[in-house]
Amino acid sequence: MSDTFTAVMDQLPTADVLARSPLYQHSALRGDGLQLQENALATQLVIRGNTDDASFVQGVAKATGLALPGNLQSEANNDWRLRWIAPDEWLLTGPANAAFTMETALRENLSGHYAVINVSGGQTLVRLSGANARAVLMKSCPYDVHDRNFPAGKVVSTVFAKSQAIISRLGDDEWELVVRRSFADYIWRWLVDAGQEFGLSEHA
Amino acid sequence: MTQPNRLNSGGRIDRDQPMQFEFNGRRYSGFQGDTLASAMLANGVDLVGRSFKYGRRRGIVAAGAEEPNAILQLGATEATQVPNVRATQQELFDGLVAQPTSGWPSLNTDALGMVGKVFGSLLPPGFYYKTFMFPRFGWKLYEKYIRKAAGFGRSPRAEDVDQYDHLNQHADVLIVGAGAAGLAAALSAARSGARVILADEQSEMGGSLLHSRDLMGGKPATQWVADTLAELAGRDNVLLLPRSTVNGYHDHNFLTIHERRTDHIADRAPEGMSRQRLHRVRARWVVLATGAHERPLVFANNDLPGCMLASAVSTYLNRYAVAPGNKLVLMTANDYAYRTAFDWQDAGRDVVAIVDSRADVSGHYQEEAKRRGIAVLLGHGVIEARGSKKVTGAVVASLNADGSAVAGASRTLSCDLIASSGGWSPVVHLSAHTGSRPVWNDDVLGFVPGETLQQMKTAGAVKGSYDLVACLRDGAEQGAEAAKLAGFDATPATTPEVDSWPEAKAMALYSIPHTQPNSRAPKQFVDLQNDVTAAAIELATREGFESIEHVKRYTAMGFGTDQGKLGNINGMAIAAKSLGQSIPDTGTTIFRPNYTPVTFGAVVGRHCGELFEPERYTAMHDWHVQHGAEFENVGQWKRPWYYPKAGETMQQALDRECLATRESIGILDASTLGKIDIQGKDAREFIGRIYTNAWAKLAVGKCRYGLMCHEDGMVFDDGVTSCLGENHFLMTTTTGGAAGVLEWLELYHQTEWPELEVFMNTVTDHWATMTIAGPNARKLLAELCDDIDLDKDSFKFMDWRQGTVAGVPARVFRISFTGELSYEINVQANYGLHVWEKLFEHGEKYNLTPYGTESMHILRAEKGFIIAGQDTDGSVHPYDLNHGWAVKEDKPFSFIGKRGMKREDCVREGRKQLVGLKTKDPKVVLPEGAQAVDDPKQPLPMAMLGHVTSSYYSANLGRSIAMGLIKDGLNRNGDTIYYPLSNGQVVEAEICSTIFLDPKGDRQNV
Repeated sequence: MSDTFTAVMDQLPTADVLARSPLYQHSALRGDGLQLQENALATQLVIRGNTDDASFVQGVAKATGLALPGNLQSEANNDWRLRWIAPDEWLLTGPANAAFTMETALRENLSGHYAVINVSGGQTLVRLSGANARAVLMKSCPYDVHDRNFPAGKVVSTVFAKSQAIISRLGDDEWELVVRRSFADYIWRWLVDAGQEFGLSEHA
Repeated sequence: MTQPNRLNSGGRIDRDQPMQFEFNGRRYSGFQGDTLASAMLANGVDLVGRSFKYGRRRGIVAAGAEEPNAILQLGATEATQVPNVRATQQELFDGLVAQPTSGWPSLNTDALGMVGKVFGSLLPPGFYYKTFMFPRFGWKLYEKYIRKAAGFGRSPRAEDVDQYDHLNQHADVLIVGAGAAGLAAALSAARSGARVILADEQSEMGGSLLHSRDLMGGKPATQWVADTLAELAGRDNVLLLPRSTVNGYHDHNFLTIHERRTDHIADRAPEGMSRQRLHRVRARWVVLATGAHERPLVFANNDLPGCMLASAVSTYLNRYAVAPGNKLVLMTANDYAYRTAFDWQDAGRDVVAIVDSRADVSGHYQEEAKRRGIAVLLGHGVIEARGSKKVTGAVVASLNADGSAVAGASRTLSCDLIASSGGWSPVVHLSAHTGSRPVWNDDVLGFVPGETLQQMKTAGAVKGSYDLVACLRDGAEQGAEAAKLAGFDATPATTPEVDSWPEAKAMALYSIPHTQPNSRAPKQFVDLQNDVTAAAIELATREGFESIEHVKRYTAMGFGTDQGKLGNINGMAIAAKSLGQSIPDTGTTIFRPNYTPVTFGAVVGRHCGELFEPERYTAMHDWHVQHGAEFENVGQWKRPWYYPKAGETMQQALDRECLATRESIGILDASTLGKIDIQGKDAREFIGRIYTNAWAKLAVGKCRYGLMCHEDGMVFDDGVTSCLGENHFLMTTTTGGAAGVLEWLELYHQTEWPELEVFMNTVTDHWATMTIAGPNARKLLAELCDDIDLDKDSFKFMDWRQGTVAGVPARVFRISFTGELSYEINVQANYGLHVWEKLFEHGEKYNLTPYGTESMHILRAEKGFIIAGQDTDGSVHPYDLNHGWAVKEDKPFSFIGKRGMKREDCVREGRKQLVGLKTKDPKVVLPEGAQAVDDPKQPLPMAMLGHVTSSYYSANLGRSIAMGLIKDGLNRNGDTIYYPLSNGQVVEAEICSTIFLDPKGDRQNV
């Protein structure tokens, strides 16, 4: 416990401990204009706060090097991506094993009413790319993923098949889903099924 | 194989691509470009089915979705069976196999005709109503015959081998129908840059232009269609969906489109391709260009094979090069249908006569008929078709001025085809789906879309505009308008000029009188699919069914796949006439989705098989699978239920798991319990308002059990919440209640107490939780954890500590749902399986035994711990549960449910209260749900005391145990009560404490 107010915990084990990401049994898949793979074990922190509070906005910027994105937007640098989730909620994702360092940095730069929650074990990132990625998304979620409505940089939390996902568009043919750990197998199976049409399979 | 009715030239078929198909066990051939219907007609197949009620012979009537008779069963194998396919909408492919769906015992014998004659008298109008009501047992007798004889297809008995899927679509402008108006609308909208979807149910877009012989801008209409489609296909903002029926128009401009992707290719879909696709479209604006269906005229024996719609005859001639007969009698009440006679003559066939109900009409069409030497009988009608197996003649007679009575002598014209046209009915179905009632238009002689309720425009024939030039202009304008309203800069596309003759006024005529009254004349069919006659409608009105909705239900008019496409207007006109009122006063029935039948496969999409419902897994799921766990569904989670060893029964496995836990040590995967991280300076205050008990003094490092109530004071969830820091708590919930509790917290925070500084987040999936319970739990933990002082006086029951377990940072909670010495180890889920496996490595010497949810239930019941949702049902407050110790009445702010549980009904005597139950015979396990009574011999209905909520066999106690709700139960300790079971057995039980084992709690405190 770092202080008596909030329990901040370095959750990383010793080096000999084998980590299993939610999709550790599934290898990357490739098809015609379609690739699917897990970006496993990324650091994931939920940040809660009020944008009317200048110290919150500045503190996040200082700790992450990223400005708090506005509605449905994301900000990214080489290592980190900060996604708007809700008016008082953001999701920060970054390199593996960096949760404690980043949470500590955030807490050092923040004060007042805010929260930081380590959710690195509770969700995972799935990368969907290629020219047919959009068609797979259209099979999976009712949100409009057309270029005009979903340019690169946009983030949407929405229904995905019968589960949910945070969908980010990283580039023209680059998409990333944040899915909950317990639903990850279902969503992976769904994506593999939707990709059948494009010959999605384990590449040699 | 010859095709006797196939023309030598013309049509949009490819004579170089012959195709074989099978209907009713016989093989035929057709061509690429045929529909199944056109190929059947080309082969002279007159008989496609037997009628539903009377068993009469029926042939193909129409060329589109409105076909009432040719409803076939498709599929070469059991696994590819598709019922309810309209032959007019099914493209021919090589190897197609179709069966008739109606007609028992077989299509070609006249046995059913005989049965039908006998049977028809059993099925008068209103037979549903009458047979259900009187005699009451009658339905059972009739049903199996009715079902056998009447079915429009059957369900496949083998699993479908094809896949179906869904695609979510979004459009600025969705245009329904790619006829003249729809194509023009698409041009205007597409050129504006708007995202356009153009959907059409046919294989080729173009609608009536595909069989039109009009010249557009001096070129054939088909050329304009091709040019327009080429432009549209070249734009990346346009999606063309042929073979796609817009079946439903739902709220918020959400429309469903049923696309048949491979039904035209083969019996099975090609590998990797879905057979059908349901497009779920959200459109900013919709343009309905759904066109119109031709209305047949009603006359005696008008169901004989060889009676067809006039426009259908033209379609078969011009589009498919099929002449379904040799000698045509055309009956019409308008000029437009004259084209069919001209088409027929140009195909080298004989036009016997044009029978026009209008006495006083002369214009271009009549002059052209005269020029062609075609006899025109003005002021006449075909009052009856003659023939036994198919049409051999038409009885014509002169009619009075308004067509209500036969005015002169009748005579019979020899012919083999009677085409009729009573005018056109706009296809208002989709507009009606939005809740808009169609309105009658006297100029159009039809119902047109009524009030516009959504962001929708209509164009062309759907609003009764039948002139081609007008349709094109209207389409171009409405398409531009819709695009403009969707925010695009649009102008109407220019549309070509068309040389066409002006048409004389049509006559409002629906049914042709006979020399005898309708009730005595040969049957005059209004709804061919449901065998509804003019006389039946008149009977319905005579029996007092005045509302058209009642007439529909009484006669079955407009039921089934037909949905009134062909017969409804005629039926309404007949009902109106019979009731002595106008058609608008009579009104229409409501059209509902779907416009044409949709397969279940398309409705379900990929949400079937292993994708039917999400399965949620914990981090240790693979281990459970490998170790033979049986799983229980808890919400969407798959939880290990029990772990049977080879040869074990379920009860044996449970006994072993429960005994091992109390004798040494057991382990449970508790990861599914809901976990909510709560941070903020007001977190403690917030939790105190949510839970019924006290939280003000819970110190960091401590845990506490809490009950959660709704406003009514009734328990809805429970769990242990731990103080992680002064401003930081971890709340646990039941597995099934996790999402609901988080929503409940957010609801109260956002709507009632926004001033409280607190943030809630789910961390259910982040932590893997494993509970080790039993006398050896401390020993095992000590082997894997050297940085927590596990001494019983320093790490007490209801404390939590942070440390390292098997090399992984962990929060260890000393809480217990078994009453044993118990630790809940929480590690980040990525390392959960590692810790779980390490526990087993070290636990082997202690006989570490995994147990599932069923043993968890037994172990907790031995201790009288409740399960919210099992021992509670929303009508039980904390005092009913004897949990008054978990209610703190004097909290400064109050808490949710405090007032509710003080209501008069909540504090009265005699409420049902949770008690323990011991059966007199310790081997008898009460069924959960069994009702208690004081006197099992009392007369029925017995006075019931309450039900059993939890009941198990406890191996540790060597007897059955149970908990249940009993009226005034907390004051009845030691009383004997009885449970009369449904099998006649009466189980005697004694009311006791809910705590069956270790009442002082020594075991968990060691």
